[in-house]
Amino acid sequence: MSNNEKKNPVLFFLQESWLLMVASIAFGCLLACLNAAWAPKIAQNEIDKFNKLAGNLIDTATQFQSVDEPIPVDIGKGKVYNIDVKKGIDADGNIVGWAFVCEGSGFADKIKLVIATDAAFEKLAGFGVLSSNETPGFGDKINIKPEDGGFYQPQFIGAPVGKLELTKTGDPGKHDDDQIVAISGATVTSDAVVKIFNTFLVPVKEAMEIRGLL
Amino acid sequence: MDTVQTLILGFIGIVIVNNLVLTKFLGICPYLGVSGRIDMAFGMGMAVTFVVTLAGTLTWVIDHVFLVPYGLEVLRYLCFILVIAGAVQLVEMYVRKFFPPLYESFGIFLPLITTNCAILGLCLFLNLWGIDSLLEAVVLSVGAGVGFTMAICIMAGIRENLELADVPECLQGAPITLITAGLLTLAFMGFAGMIR
Amino acid sequence: MSDGTSLGKTFFAGIWDNNPVLRLLLGMCPTLAVTAAVKPALTMGFSVIFVLLFSNIVVSLLRHQLKPHLRILMFTLTIATAVTIADLALKAYLPDMSASLGPYIPLIIVNCIIIGRAEACASKNGLVVSIIDALGMGAGFTITLCILAAIREVLATGKIFEIPVMPSAFTPWAAMGMPVGAFVTLGLMLGGVNLISKKSA
Repeated sequence: MSNNEKKNPVLFFLQESWLLMVASIAFGCLLACLNAAWAPKIAQNEIDKFNKLAGNLIDTATQFQSVDEPIPVDIGKGKVYNIDVKKGIDADGNIVGWAFVCEGSGFADKIKLVIATDAAFEKLAGFGVLSSNETPGFGDKINIKPEDGGFYQPQFIGAPVGKLELTKTGDPGKHDDDQIVAISGATVTSDAVVKIFNTFLVPVKEAMEIRGLL
Repeated sequence: MDTVQTLILGFIGIVIVNNLVLTKFLGICPYLGVSGRIDMAFGMGMAVTFVVTLAGTLTWVIDHVFLVPYGLEVLRYLCFILVIAGAVQLVEMYVRKFFPPLYESFGIFLPLITTNCAILGLCLFLNLWGIDSLLEAVVLSVGAGVGFTMAICIMAGIRENLELADVPECLQGAPITLITAGLLTLAFMGFAGMIR
Repeated sequence: MSDGTSLGKTFFAGIWDNNPVLRLLLGMCPTLAVTAAVKPALTMGFSVIFVLLFSNIVVSLLRHQLKPHLRILMFTLTIATAVTIADLALKAYLPDMSASLGPYIPLIIVNCIIIGRAEACASKNGLVVSIIDALGMGAGFTITLCILAAIREVLATGKIFEIPVMPSAFTPWAAMGMPVGAFVTLGLMLGGVNLISKKSA
C-alpha cells in the first residue's frame, strides 16, 4: 500500500502534465529551428540598414569595415558606450570616410543616429536617423533627407568636427560653420541631435588619434 | 548621488512623463473596466503595483542571469509570460492565506492581471530601454504601478462625476471613457520633455 | 449545406456581431497603439490573424487531451510560441515594420482576443470551425484597425499608405497622430457603432 501511494504523486503528476511537457519540448525545438534559420537574416538586416544610411552620406564608399575594437566613450553618470567605428572603403581600397552609430535621449524616446565624417575626420558628412520617436510634424523633421527638401540635416554636411552650437535664428543655408539652426517648434529635438554630436564626435576622434587610426 | 538622481528621475519619468496607460497604451482593458468607482480603481491599482513590481524584478533577473548569457533570447517571451502567470498565482495564494483583509480589497482583481498588458509591457520595456541595474529595474517597476494607480484613480474620479452629467446614450460607458482618457493624455503631454 | 451557412455565419459574426474591438471591447491596447498609420495597422492585423490561426488549430487538435486545470497554461504556451514565430518572421522580412511596432508584437501574447477564442471556441469545436472562427475574428480585428488607422493617418498627415490623398490646402491635424487622437477617434467609433446597432435593433 505504502509503495503504491509513494508512486502515485509522481505518476499523477506525469499523467496530468505530459501534454504540457511534450508541448514545451516541441515548441522549444520549433523556436530553436526557426531562430537558427532566421538569425543570420536578422543580423544582415541590421548591417544593411547601417550600410544604406552610411552609404548615402559617403557616396564613394562601396563597403564598410569595423575598426579592430570598439571605442569606449564615457558620457558621464557611469554610462559607457562602446562605439563601433567603421571605415568606408571605395573600390580601390582607399578610406573615404568614417561612420558610426550613437544615440542619445530625445524629446520622447531615444534617438539613434549614424554619424559620418570625411576620411581625415575633419569635416562632417552628415547624419542619418536609425530610429527615433519624435513628435510627428515637428521633431520628426530631423528625419527628412536633404534630397527630400529637409533643411535640418544638410546643415551638418561640411560642418567642422568639434563642438556644434544650436541657434534659433540664423542662416540654415550656411553649412561650413558650427552653427546649427533649430527646427521651429522642435527645439528640444534639434538640441538633442546637436547634443549627440557634441557627446561623441570629439572623444571618438581623440581615441582614434591615440590608436593611430587617423 | 548620481545613482539616486537617476533613480528619482527614472521614477518620476515613468509615473508622469512615460505613464504606461496614457502614453504607451498599456492596461487599457482594466482601465476601462474597473475605473467606475474610486475604491475599486484604487484596489486594482494596488494589485497591479504589487504584481508589476514582482514580475518586473523577476523577469529582469531571469533575463540577465539565464537568457542573455546563454543565448536563449528566443525563449524570452515564453519565459516572461510563464513567470508572470506563475507569480500572479503565487501572489494570490499567499495574500489569500496570510493577509485576508488585503485579499478582500484587491484579491479579486489578481486573476485578471495576468492578461493585463501593462505587466508584460513593462517587462518588455525594461528590456528595450536597456536597464542594466537591478535597483533601477525595481524602481521603474514600482513607478509603473504607481503611474497606473494614479491614472486609474483620476479616471475613476472623473467618471463618478460624469454619472451626474447628461451623456448621450450611444456614448455612455466605454466611448465616453475613451474620450475622457484622450483628453487626459492631452493634459499629460504637457509633461513630455520634462526629463532629459 | 447547412454546414456551409453556419460556417459563413461564424465568419461574418467575427466581423460585425462579435467584432472583437467594437463589440467585445477586447484587444484595445494594440488598437490604440499601432493605428497612427495604415501600414503598421495592417501588419499588426495580419500578425494577429497568424497567431489566432496557429493557436486555434493547435488547441483544436489537442482539445481532447487538455486537462481542465492546466488548459490556460497550455493556451499561453501555444500563443507565446506563435507570437515568437511572428516576431522573428517580422524581424527577418519586414525589419522597418518590426522596429516601428516595437513591443506591441510580443504584447499579442496577452491580447484577450486570442486566449478568449481559444477558450470559447477552439477548445470545444472541430478543426474547420476553429479555423473559420480565427479567420473571422482576425478579419474583424484587422478591418477595424485599418478603418481607425485610415481616419487617423488621413487627418494627421493627409496621406494613406504614404500616398497623398488630401488636397494640398489641407492643414494636417497633428493631434491625430498622438495618443489623444487615438482615444478620441476610437471612442467616437464605438459611439457610432452603438448608435447603428440601436437603430437597427
